[in-house]
Parts: sequence; structure tokens; C-alpha cells
Amino acid sequence: MSATIDINNVTKAYGSLTVLDEISLGIEAGEFIVFLGPSGCGKSTLLRMIAGLESVDKGTISIGGDRIDTLPPGKRGVAMVFQTYALYPHMTVAQNMAFGLENIKIDKAEIRKRVEAAAETLEMSHLLDRKPAKLSGGQRQRVAIGRAIVKEPKAFLFDEPLSNLDAALRSRTRLELAQLHQRLGSTMIFVTHDQVEAMTLAHRIVVMHDRKIEQIGTPMEIYQRPATRFVAEFVGSPAMSMLPIKALEAKAGKTGLDVAGAGMIETTIKLPADFKLDGAAIGLRSEDTFVVNPGEDGLGLTVSVVERLGERTLLYGKLDNGLDLIVEDSGRSTVRAGDRVLVGFDEKALHVFDGNDKAYHWQEEA
Amino acid sequence: MAGKRKDTYSPEWLTANRWFFWIAAFLACVMAAPVLWVTALSFKDNALLMRGTEAVFSAPYTLKNYFDLLHSSLVFRWVLNSMVVAIGQTAGVLILASLAGYAFARLEFPFRKTIFVIVLFGLAVPEQAVIIARHQMFSWLQLHNTYWGLMLPGMSSAFGVFLMTQFFRAIPREIDEAALLDNTPRFRIFWKVLMPLTMPAQATLGIFTFLLAWNDYWWPLISATKKDMYTLTIGIASSQRNFAQSEGLGFLAAQAVFAALPAVIVYIFFQRHIVTAVSGGAVK
Amino acid sequence: MAESYRRSSWSNALFILPYMSVFITLLVFPLFWGMWLSLNKTDLFGGAKFIGIKNYIRVFNDPVFAQAVWNTVVFVLVSVPTLVALGLFLALALNKTTKGSSFLRGLFFSSSVLSVTIVTLIWRFVFVPGDGLLYLIFTKMGWETINFLSTEGWSLFAVGVATVWWCLGLPMMLFLASLQQIPGDLYEAAALDNASRWRILTRITLPSIKSTILLVTVVQIVFQFQLFGQAQLMTNGGPSGTSRPIVMYIYETGFIRWDVGMGAAASEVLFLIILVAAMVQYWVTSNKEEA
Repeated sequence: MSATIDINNVTKAYGSLTVLDEISLGIEAGEFIVFLGPSGCGKSTLLRMIAGLESVDKGTISIGGDRIDTLPPGKRGVAMVFQTYALYPHMTVAQNMAFGLENIKIDKAEIRKRVEAAAETLEMSHLLDRKPAKLSGGQRQRVAIGRAIVKEPKAFLFDEPLSNLDAALRSRTRLELAQLHQRLGSTMIFVTHDQVEAMTLAHRIVVMHDRKIEQIGTPMEIYQRPATRFVAEFVGSPAMSMLPIKALEAKAGKTGLDVAGAGMIETTIKLPADFKLDGAAIGLRSEDTFVVNPGEDGLGLTVSVVERLGERTLLYGKLDNGLDLIVEDSGRSTVRAGDRVLVGFDEKALHVFDGNDKAYHWQEEA
Repeated sequence: MAGKRKDTYSPEWLTANRWFFWIAAFLACVMAAPVLWVTALSFKDNALLMRGTEAVFSAPYTLKNYFDLLHSSLVFRWVLNSMVVAIGQTAGVLILASLAGYAFARLEFPFRKTIFVIVLFGLAVPEQAVIIARHQMFSWLQLHNTYWGLMLPGMSSAFGVFLMTQFFRAIPREIDEAALLDNTPRFRIFWKVLMPLTMPAQATLGIFTFLLAWNDYWWPLISATKKDMYTLTIGIASSQRNFAQSEGLGFLAAQAVFAALPAVIVYIFFQRHIVTAVSGGAVK
Repeated sequence: MAESYRRSSWSNALFILPYMSVFITLLVFPLFWGMWLSLNKTDLFGGAKFIGIKNYIRVFNDPVFAQAVWNTVVFVLVSVPTLVALGLFLALALNKTTKGSSFLRGLFFSSSVLSVTIVTLIWRFVFVPGDGLLYLIFTKMGWETINFLSTEGWSLFAVGVATVWWCLGLPMMLFLASLQQIPGDLYEAAALDNASRWRILTRITLPSIKSTILLVTVVQIVFQFQLFGQAQLMTNGGPSGTSRPIVMYIYETGFIRWDVGMGAAASEVLFLIILVAAMVQYWVTSNKEEA
């Protein structure tokens, strides 16, 4: 029982401070969509507006075609899992889950059935009579999810649910959430600032920044073809290296870019005639770079820090003109801090950003 | 101990000098002396004491005074009155203050902030400023010498509202939000979700109010003028009036001990709560 | 928080209605009616005649009132510093985790849960001439016995002793709470700085709890200005009114002589005195801090 969610031109302001600016977004039924962004970008506010915990100043929100932004939270058919779980401390797990159903006068037998089913799905049937104080963090989170499941909502809302878990538990819970989504097939909206969570769980990611949506796309789209400079720098670890473009030269079928530190690069990426040069740069992910053998063509990089990650080695260094670059080498690299190596990169993997931070990518010859 | 050195310097070290402790212990003896004196007197026969109170230092001791007390008609009536008034006033304060505290902490209504400030000002008003007017009012309403008459004034105290508002404010908002998403109506959020979480504050406020009501002097003095409506506090005061020519020092002493018992029992059982109420929970 | 929940509505105000009804009828209304009463002369049959500030003039011209004010002021000036100093001393001495300290703290606070009538009864047993504990002690020590309760000058003192015995617990508790809030590393740093105990006490401990000392002082001033039960029951204000406090004057005027207007006027005067005293104390101490 999941539904589509339509957010139309939604704006929210606190007095003169605009927190969300004309946000529009369509979420498909059964989709797992992630709102990703740094703190303060408005992602939690947007989620809470869908839940009904914040008011909508302009625009509308609809679920399954029915407008909900004028309804109280309990009547919207959504369920929310809070970052701090917000379990009722004085009630047992079973009572926590039953509470919402009691309020809408569902009969006792049906309540018990749903509670037991949810408990079984989440493997916590043995915890039903315990109070939250006697549960671990991971167990509490499952109760919060259970409380949402029994409501059989049209959509699940998750507000940074993994932030309070330690690292090991986090990856395990991520997996369980993915399995839960497969099993239930419901629409799920997940808010986080952690790109790994976003990349691994989402069907589509909504990257938000500074009160606006930067890009909506599948994880691969976001990663490989970021629409703006912000998305490119936010997603991916380590962050994309940026090298400023000094000059542009249109040639037959190609464009020549004079890039600081890298010299002249020819690329088939189509750039428009009104490409803003001031502030433009190219972006390089470290996995698209490599160390060339001495004697071959390459850019000089003086390595200052070497990170050996096992399956790969990251070389942090400065090009000859002083610009920073991160280069990836094989896991068996013998490069040491202080070495000067020659590096190259895959020209097809370049990302070009104009002065307005808009991105241009290499187009597949269809 | 002179030889024992503390490796960490702490507030305890500050007054670790034995003098401090022994002076405190001496003061404690001074503190306890009057109570021990009166308790001892209560176990002596009145006639013996009439001849001189040094008799208290030697046998024979007796429980006669307590027997007389138990047979005295009015003392139990006074205890009953105190019970009714104290429990009634406490229940009233807890209910009124909880409802108001929830509203001030969580709900919005016109003039909320202004009204709250006015209530806070109520904390500054001393009893004398209102007692004469209250007395006139209750005379006119014929509420003197009634249980309601004794209970009601105490329920106007702003302290309870202040305490409960702070406590409700301290509960994380997400709990309310979760309840909202659970379709819970306002009153149910108050009654089933938030109230149970305020139990520590209820206990503290309850015990504090109970003692205050039990020990109240001036108001019952002027409102309960009939002997059978006296609270225990006033009853003891009335017996004191004839101190010199009383039914005997021993009997009077027994009255004092007896009257002190409820408060002492409450204190022994609820010491922690009382201390929390007055020190804001910071004393360990 | 959800808009529907937070949206300002009169129905939300229903929650404060019960309390506010009591608050307005039993606190606000009597407060203002009391002021009105002080401007009227009421006779025994309930009739009232507006006489403006005549009641206040009568109060100020009454030598008994003047004496009561004097008594109360002296009482406050002696009892409050005693309570603050003793409370502080005990808090410092008993700020330990030993069982003995814990027991003593409980002992010192226990007197505060008793009612004024029990406290005065106990102390009358101590002060009774010819039979009291003090009489016995004095004769044993060979000192000349003093009839505390009926000697001018000593009667107020006796009331003060009983009051300090009764009220000591609260200041001690408040100071204890405050002392326990001082971060432990302050002491360790001072120790490394080679500070002596006295220096630590005066330069670190006391300044850290300054605001509590102020709070306790103000609270005690307000409380002790309202002295009533102890004086009425132990000495009945005597002898010759030398231990009559202001509140007892109010009580006698308003509820014994039934001169309601004058009693109300006296109570307004007391209210004013208390407000002024508390504010002055607060202002003086804050200024001293800045100096």
C-alpha cells in the first residue's frame, strides 16, 4: 500500500529567513528516495513538512493524488522514524507499537496481529514486553521502525535514522533497511548527510544544498554525471580535485582547454558558445587518474601524504604549479611521501564546470 | 588521620581538617538536645515532673502520657483534618499545575507568554498581602471551618506551575511529534504520553506541597475556628496556650512528639524527594 | 512541532483554565481587594467607608507598629547572617561522602519539616523558667539563670534561637548543591599552584558560589521578615511588645481587633518593606561585584 508523492513549488520561511525555496519533486510509488545534503540545506525540514510537523507556506504536497499539506500529521497516512527514535519511555515495545492503532480505534485482535507480524519481520518478538530503557540502540531503532510498519502507511519517512548507531551497526542496519524495502515495497523517503548511505540505499537521490534541489537522479547518475559543482564535490570520497580553466579554444569538433597545472587538454565534451570562463574548472576523480611510468608523458606531482587503503593507494600532492591533486595508484604502490611522480588521467572522465557551477559531461555517441 | 595523604585534591580535602567535623558534630548535639529533652520528658509521669524536671534523668519512665493522648478525643480528629486537607491540597495542586504546566510548555494560545509572566509574579506575593482579603471572601462565601476552605488557598501557589512547566519543557519534543503521527488527540498526549514521564516532578511537588499544607499555621488559625476543625498544627498551638498551667509537662511533651511523628516519618521515607524539591536536584 | 498542535487556539487555553481560575480568585483578586480594604474603614457589620490613606496614617502613628518594625528589622539583621554563615559552615564541613556526614546533613535538615507549632513547643520546653533545659544547664554550671521568654531583649533572642534551629536546613542544602557544582579541577589546579586551604576557600570556593549566597540571603530576608508563629507562641510578642513582629501586629489588628482596614494597610506596608529590602540587598551585592 504505497503511493506517489508530489511536492509542488513548496516554499517555507521563518519570518524573513527562507528555508526552502520553490521545491518541486515527484516521488514514485514504492520508490526508495534519499534526500542528501549538508546540514542546514533544508532536507529535514522538507521531510517534516511531508510528515505534517512543519507547515507549508507556499505550494502543495499530495500523496496518491490527494492533497495532504492541510491535514494534521496523524491523518496523512505517513509514518516517521525519528533520529532519536522518540519511543514512549514508559510503555513496553508492544504498547509503543499499538499506541497509534489504538488511537484510530482499530480492534484489539487486529492490533495484536499487526504487532506480532511486525515484530517477527524485525526479529524482535522476544522483546515485546520490554521497555525502551532496557533495549540497545539497535533494538530501539527496530521498535521505531516497527511502530511505523504496523500503521501500514502510504509512505515511510526516515530522519537520519543511522546517525546514532556505531559504525558496525550502521552497515548492518543499512542492509536490513534495504531488505525491508524489498519485502514491503513501500515508498520510503530517507534523509541523510552521509553519501555512502545515500548511494547504497537509494533508487534515486535528491541532492539538496542551500534551500534548493541541486540534482535528482539515480546514484550512478549523481556520481558519474553530477549536474553541478556542488554535487560533484559533495559525492565521492575522496572529493573530486578541481583545476581551474584559464582559456578556451574551439577547434574542429573539439574544444581545447587550457587548464592550470595540466596544460592543454582536448576534449569532445560539447560546450555552449556562452560558456562562462570566469570561475570555470575541470574536475577529476582520483580513480580516473593513474601514475605513469617514468619517461612517459605526464604531469609532475609532488606527493605530500600517502594513504594506503589496501585495495588502492591515495596520493595527495601538489602539481608543479602548486595546485592540489589527488591521484589513485594501485594497492601495491611503492610511492612515498616526498616523491615526485608523473601522473595522467582519463580524458573521457573529465567533468567540466562553467563559472555558474553547471556541469558538462562527455556524451556517449549514441 | 595525619599520616593519610589524599592524592587528589577535592572539595572534601578543603575541610578535611578534623576541627570542622567536630564543630559540626557539636552543633549537631546542640541541634538534637531540645528534641531529646522533650522526648525524655514525654516518658515521665506528670506528677513527678511537677516537682522538678531533673526527674527526667532517672527512672521510672512511663508510657502513661501516650495512653492519655490516645484517649484524648480531639487529637485524632485533628490528625484526620490535617490528612484530608494535606492530601486534598496536594491532589489539587498536582492536577492544576500539571494541566497548566503542559499548556505553558507545549501548547499555544493567545497571550500565553504574558499570562505566564503574570503567574511568575505570583511567586513574589507574600501571604500577608492576600490573607485579610481572602478571609473576608471566605466569610462571605461561608467557607470557613470547611475542608474546602482550608485546601483552596494553597492551590493558587505559582510554584507548582513553574516547576511543572520546566519539567514538561525538558521532555524531548520528538515524543510529542511521534504521538502526533500516531493520531493522538491533545489531551491523550498529555495524559497517556507526557504525564507518566513527569513522575519524579510529581513526587517532588507532591511531597513538598503535602508538608507545606500539613504545617500551615496562619490560614488554618483564622479559618478553622471550631475546635473540631483544627488541623493538627493548630491543635498543638491551642494546647500550648495553657503551657504554664497545663495538664502537665509530660503530657504536653507527648503531644509534641506525637505531632512530630507524621512529618518525621514522611521525612525519613522521602528525604531524597524533599531535598530535591528545595535544592533543585543538585545535591547528591 | 506540528502546526495544528502549536496553532494558537482558545481551546488550548482550557488546560490553564482550572489553575487560572484559582489563581485569579485566590491570589490576584485578594491582592487588589486587600489594597482596596486598606483604603476603607470597615466596621463589624461589614459596612465600608472610603477614607483614603487614613489607615496608613494611623499605622505610621502607632507606636506599637513602630516597635514591631524595629523588632522585625533587628531580628532580620541578626538571624539572616547567622543562618547564612552557619548554613555555609555546615555545607563546607559536611560536603563529604562519608556516612557520618550524610547522617549529620539529614539531622540538620530534619528540623525544617516540622511545623512552627511543634518547634515552638519544643523550645518552650527548653526555655521554661524553673523547669527548662536551659534552667537546668545554667544551674548546673552555676550561672545566674535568665528567664529568656519574659525578659526584654532576651525574648527576641530566644525567638531567634528557635528560628535558626528551625530554618538552618534550607540554606545548608542550597549551599551544598552549589558547592557540588564547582568543577573539581579548579581545586586540583589550585593545589598545583600551591594554594593554602584558606586561600582556596576565600579565593576560589566562595567566589564560585557567590550567586547562591546572594540567593539564600534574599530568600531568608523575605522569609524572616514574615516572622509570626514563633513570636506569637513563645512570647506572645512580649514582654511589652519587645518581641512583637510586624506580622503579629497585622494579625492582632486584623483578626483580634477586627480593624480590617488598618490591618490591610499594615500588610501593604510590610509587602513594600519586603520588596524594598530584597531589591536593596540584590542591588548592593550586584554593585559590589562590579566594583
